[in-house]
Amino acid sequence: MAAHHKILGIVTLLYLLLFFMHTIYFAWRKEKVLSLMRGALYIAFGLHTVGIALRWIESYRLNIGHVPLSNFYESLIFYAWCIIGLLILLRKRLAHTNITFCASLIALLLMGFASISPSVQKNIEPLVPALQSNWLHIHVATCFIAYAALAISFIAGMFYLVGQKRIMPTKETLEEINYKSIIIGFPMLTSGILTGAVWANYAWGSYWSWDPKETWSLITWIIYALFLHARTTRGWKGKATAIISVVGFVSVMVTYFVVNFILSGLHSYAT
Amino acid sequence: MLQKEEALQLNVMNVIKNNRKTTEPKQKKGIAETLFDLFISKRLSMLILALIAAGSILGTIIKQGANESEYLTVYSEATYRIINIFGLDDAYHSLWFKALIVLFAINLTLCTAQGLIRFIKEKRQTDIPEFDRLSKMELNLRVDNERKEKAIGVLKKFYRLIRDENRGLILEKGIPSRLGVFIIHGSIITVLVGSFIGLVFGFKGFLILRVGETKDHVTARGGHQDMITLGFALKCKDFKASYYPEGQPKDYVSTVEVIEGGTIVKEKDIRVNDPLYHKGIRFYQSSYGKKTSFLFHVADEAVALTEQEPFQKKGLALMVVRFAEEIHNLGPGVQIAYLEGDRPQSRWFLLNVEKMKSQVIGGVAVRFDEIREESYTGIEVARDPGVFVVWTGFALMLLGLYVNFFTYYRRVYVVSAADGIIVAGYALKNKEAFKKEFEKLKEDIYGSTP
Ligand code: HEM
Repeated sequence: MAAHHKILGIVTLLYLLLFFMHTIYFAWRKEKVLSLMRGALYIAFGLHTVGIALRWIESYRLNIGHVPLSNFYESLIFYAWCIIGLLILLRKRLAHTNITFCASLIALLLMGFASISPSVQKNIEPLVPALQSNWLHIHVATCFIAYAALAISFIAGMFYLVGQKRIMPTKETLEEINYKSIIIGFPMLTSGILTGAVWANYAWGSYWSWDPKETWSLITWIIYALFLHARTTRGWKGKATAIISVVGFVSVMVTYFVVNFILSGLHSYAT
Repeated sequence: MLQKEEALQLNVMNVIKNNRKTTEPKQKKGIAETLFDLFISKRLSMLILALIAAGSILGTIIKQGANESEYLTVYSEATYRIINIFGLDDAYHSLWFKALIVLFAINLTLCTAQGLIRFIKEKRQTDIPEFDRLSKMELNLRVDNERKEKAIGVLKKFYRLIRDENRGLILEKGIPSRLGVFIIHGSIITVLVGSFIGLVFGFKGFLILRVGETKDHVTARGGHQDMITLGFALKCKDFKASYYPEGQPKDYVSTVEVIEGGTIVKEKDIRVNDPLYHKGIRFYQSSYGKKTSFLFHVADEAVALTEQEPFQKKGLALMVVRFAEEIHNLGPGVQIAYLEGDRPQSRWFLLNVEKMKSQVIGGVAVRFDEIREESYTGIEVARDPGVFVVWTGFALMLLGLYVNFFTYYRRVYVVSAADGIIVAGYALKNKEAFKKEFEKLKEDIYGSTP
């Protein structure tokens, strides 16, 4: 087994460990567990980065060198990496165990799905002609950074809606986290859609062709535009905006998963 | 009375938000006015956006562009009728979807124009607030006479001075942040205009070229399959598909020549992700394959026919309608359909049977010479004069988002007091960041000790 597969396997186990550490912390509330958790998160992220880098290097050894952002497996790994990266980058704002718990759970699910699901091709594949473009990197990277920020807004929105008083960050904090993540996520999503359109024009001769993936990304984009307008122009707050951000993330998941498996189009990675 | 400071803040924040006039007694409004109020309302824009999203969802759930029998295997007769009436089999080009986009464009343009007009007309508040207001501002700081000069120097380095009078100074930063919203909305309008230009003045088509073949027209995509003349000709010199050792496709390359008035003006390898651009028209590698062509002599002239492609010469109209590798153990043959007078007729030509190899159709000698397997390349052709407008829109959108979300407006007052000056300031958004900035100013003025 290649080294990057092993390392990413260990990373998955670390995210699982992080999940258990959180549950232990919730039961005991010991300060010590908290600092152990922080350490585990940094180590997991570091190894995660190493795993991706090794995969990148390995692709060059195989003479088909390309950034590991070219198939579904690689996108799942990168998505999990973005979520944890954002968690670390914004650690001051996001230092709430409930949020880190959910974020690392999502990372665990993504990594687990990537390694266990038989429908996910794990090998390094050469780039088919359609993907041989520099736009690939910027397009995929911006999309997944956006998805990561929107996952965090989803977590905040969910907690706002279902949270009990005792263990939550305050509702104001949740609302703030929700809005701030959308401020990162929305421009990134816009960049993802726009770079995708430029690339499509370059590869296929049309910047917009209503392919299901394009269409769902537009739907997602509109939902978050509605979030921003509801907030700024109509003064919606609290529950109403939390609901929009949850719906928005459902739309992200449809764009990412459902479209890949059910609605095929230009974007199925294989063609 | 509102304090001036508050009034300014409210004023600035409400310029764009305030769409309803409050006080005026209810008067009967004319129809035009009512319509205008409707089209400019932000509630309508949210509704339209939601409807566009909902319509888009329908278009991804219902298969697009299939034929009747395909729909009837999935849906009931009644459901299919609904699909048909609302054009849901081509949702994004249906009348209601186009109407929504037009409505959206009108609404957005009006909102943006209104906001912009208010923004321009708005009077800038340039009075220095009263003393006690200043000390109530979120962030304020007393500086003694000793450090007064230094403080002003530091401030001037960070902020732009907009007023300097006896009582004090006004400085500010981040005015463009308020333009972000206009840039964003303007960019969306720009993109819509660009795509409209493309729709009206551009075309999309495709071109199938056998290796060695030259064509100067392409088949238009969509609706009626018109021919579009390019104004120059394209010749395919070669086509190559290459593969990785594991068998995945690696590269598709068509080597083409652009020919104008008989001379070659350009030669290029068209690849996926590397189109040819000539005179405003782009050519994209899109598909490839093998095609069987049938070489004939029609009245001593060599021609290459392909299945289902009509051929016309000297009053003779014919077409290959069928090809069979083996006919009754007599070898390969093709069935030719032709017109005799007005009546359609058909006849078989067999390559290996002398009597059926050369025949006379309508008084013209026709001879079947050869069957040839030839590769062909499929090329997408597009002319879109609006695409640069669209790109401009894209660039503006990213710029607008940056300006709107990552820059912010703040203002700082400096007023002389009994034993020095008071420095006070506020920010319209992102107050947290301004607080940090203010802390840093404090440090710069006092050195690192607090
Ligand atoms: C898909 C289309 C649209 C997008 C992506 C969009 C984007 C935005 C963004 C990002 C903001 C800033 C929000 C914030 O700072 O939190 C905004 C504000 C605003 N938008 Fe839109 N917008 C769209 C359509 C519209 C339409 C159709 C209208 C007009 C009716 C409109 C009117 C406004 C207004 C009045 C504001 C508030 C400005 C302010 O308070 O400073 N928008 N829009």
